[in-house]
Amino acid sequence: MKTTKSTIICLLLITIAGMTGCGRSGSDTSQNSAPSEQLKRHLVIFSQCNNAEPYRAAQNDLMAKLWSEKPDVDLEITDAQQDNSKQIAQIETAILRNPDLLIVAPNERGPLTKVMGKAMDAGIQVICLERDILEPNFTTFIGSDNRKIGRLAGQFIVDYLKDKNGSPSGNLVHMRGLLGVEGEINRHGGAQEIIEQHPDIKIIKEPVADWLQSRARERMTEVLSVEPEIDVVYGHNDPMAIGAFLAAKEVGREQEMIFIGIDALGGPAGGIRKVMDGVLAASFIYPLCIKEAVEIGDQMLRDPNFVPEKKYEVESLMITPDNAEEIYSATGG
Amino acid sequence: MRNNVGETKLNRWLSDLIPVARSLLGLVAIVLAAIALSPQDRDGWPIFLTLGNWTNIVRQMSEIGILALGMTLVILSAGIDLSVGSVLALGATITAKLLMVWDPGIAVWLHIAVAISAALATCALTGFINGWIIAQLSIQPFVVTLAAMIGFRGLARWISQNSNIGLSFDENHISGIFTSVFANPYVVIGIFAASSVLFAILLSRTVFGRYVRAMGDNALAAEYAGLPIRRTQIAVYTIAGLMAGLAGMIHCAQNSQGNPNDGMAYELDAIAAVVIGGTSLRGGKGTIFGAVVGTLTLGVITNILGLKGVDENVKWMAKAVIIVLAVLLQQPETFHKLLSGVRRLTTPVRR
Repeated sequence: MKTTKSTIICLLLITIAGMTGCGRSGSDTSQNSAPSEQLKRHLVIFSQCNNAEPYRAAQNDLMAKLWSEKPDVDLEITDAQQDNSKQIAQIETAILRNPDLLIVAPNERGPLTKVMGKAMDAGIQVICLERDILEPNFTTFIGSDNRKIGRLAGQFIVDYLKDKNGSPSGNLVHMRGLLGVEGEINRHGGAQEIIEQHPDIKIIKEPVADWLQSRARERMTEVLSVEPEIDVVYGHNDPMAIGAFLAAKEVGREQEMIFIGIDALGGPAGGIRKVMDGVLAASFIYPLCIKEAVEIGDQMLRDPNFVPEKKYEVESLMITPDNAEEIYSATGG
Repeated sequence: MRNNVGETKLNRWLSDLIPVARSLLGLVAIVLAAIALSPQDRDGWPIFLTLGNWTNIVRQMSEIGILALGMTLVILSAGIDLSVGSVLALGATITAKLLMVWDPGIAVWLHIAVAISAALATCALTGFINGWIIAQLSIQPFVVTLAAMIGFRGLARWISQNSNIGLSFDENHISGIFTSVFANPYVVIGIFAASSVLFAILLSRTVFGRYVRAMGDNALAAEYAGLPIRRTQIAVYTIAGLMAGLAGMIHCAQNSQGNPNDGMAYELDAIAAVVIGGTSLRGGKGTIFGAVVGTLTLGVITNILGLKGVDENVKWMAKAVIIVLAVLLQQPETFHKLLSGVRRLTTPVRR
């Protein structure tokens, strides 16, 4: 009996000790421990919508690396696991902690609009990253234009089909991401703007794979079983294009068509490597926007007179086998 | 000696309070820890204790809390409902679709009322189907509601063609009026509070409540005693479906959209809240008060870990440990051991 009781008390103590220890050195601890310290510490909170996507994991890594170069900045990253309610709750908690800078990569446009307005009302500087929201509830927006990237992809498809079949004609599969999301709408719409000018290009199927490689593979297996002729699979991100490739390879049809994607992340698992390996015929860089966010955010922290632009646009780049190797080593391999 | 009478009275009063105190123990421990650990605002006051923070906690947990109320009835009847997360998505999707796509040309308030009623009725119907299959075809609740979890998610996605239906931000549009009411934190908290009171009365003051408990305690005995087992079972799942619909309607307002992929794994949070509150998964034993306490416990854990800025992965591990501890703390055995420990500590003083 006695042992059980002491076990419970021990467990409780360990948990509490753990919680105290686990908190990263936020502004509160630094105030207590080093009042004599000259540097004013800055708390930066990054509300990330879903760590599980490779693109966002790359964002987090670069964000952590770049802020760690500023010795007086404490960075915290929260992960909403692709859940709007969770991200709203995390931002509400962040507001109460009154950070010097709040960077938000919104999960979806509508649900996050109000809570970001709340942060602005609380007098917090807010950077909206990469995904636009419905009302301008941010100090500045840093992103890339998915519509433009979609047009680039559409033009690439048209040129490829012209080369292959003598005229811009053929069968196209759109492998679509999460419907209703800005990126999905514009990567699809931008490409369609160009493709629709060529009525001989037929959209034969538009399966939805929610950005996920595993789901794209399943959807593509279904498409392959009913479509005897496919020329191009346009994945609205690289993982889905790769998933489609895997499905085609399984039935020995990967040579019959090309696969193109968007994102073109660096690293051995990223899209650039897949272009070098001949899996993807092309991919289009969707910029992480992190370098820009840290640069502009740092200025917002330090210079009270600095007024950022309302919007910054980061340009894309087409990756093909011609330039893949060069870009791959430039991004650190 | 002269304290004898007073002491017995005190003891009886204490033993009445024990179940209540027991389910509160975990929450109190965590709240105290949270106060001690909370970062402070400019005036040196713990941020955790501010009204704004508590409004956040209760608002954020209201959807899970409303699910947990229905779930308490189900678990008390020795069942389980895994479909509530999917039904929540269904409720949110139907509400959004009726507000955005349907244009009946009737008065705005009537339109909103019809949209909400239709969503609630459909969700109650999903619960009725669950209950009917469980009661009439005698299939295990786990299996039936697991299938329902998949099936109703499919229905929600089919209704919206797997895209989310965004509400308008225009305050003059019908959906803007809808969100201005049902996304208001105090309205959300009010709905949760009112439902809790209603459920507490339903469970402790009505014949139906007694049937539910009796069924979970010993189904065979209840059947021999002539209680309407099947009808009770169907009613319990119908109510769980209705509550999931209510949570879905609120979810739609708070996120200003009906997304058929929302509410994933919410059923697990609801079950966790019920269990932390001291309701036994074996059925028969448990209270609505416990479910509310369990919901708040979950909310406070998430909140304080967030306020502390604990690393996301460590957060998961800490949460797991705290949940098990909270359940441990409100078990009768633990409570009595602690109580006797306190008594032993205080005895020498009286001597």
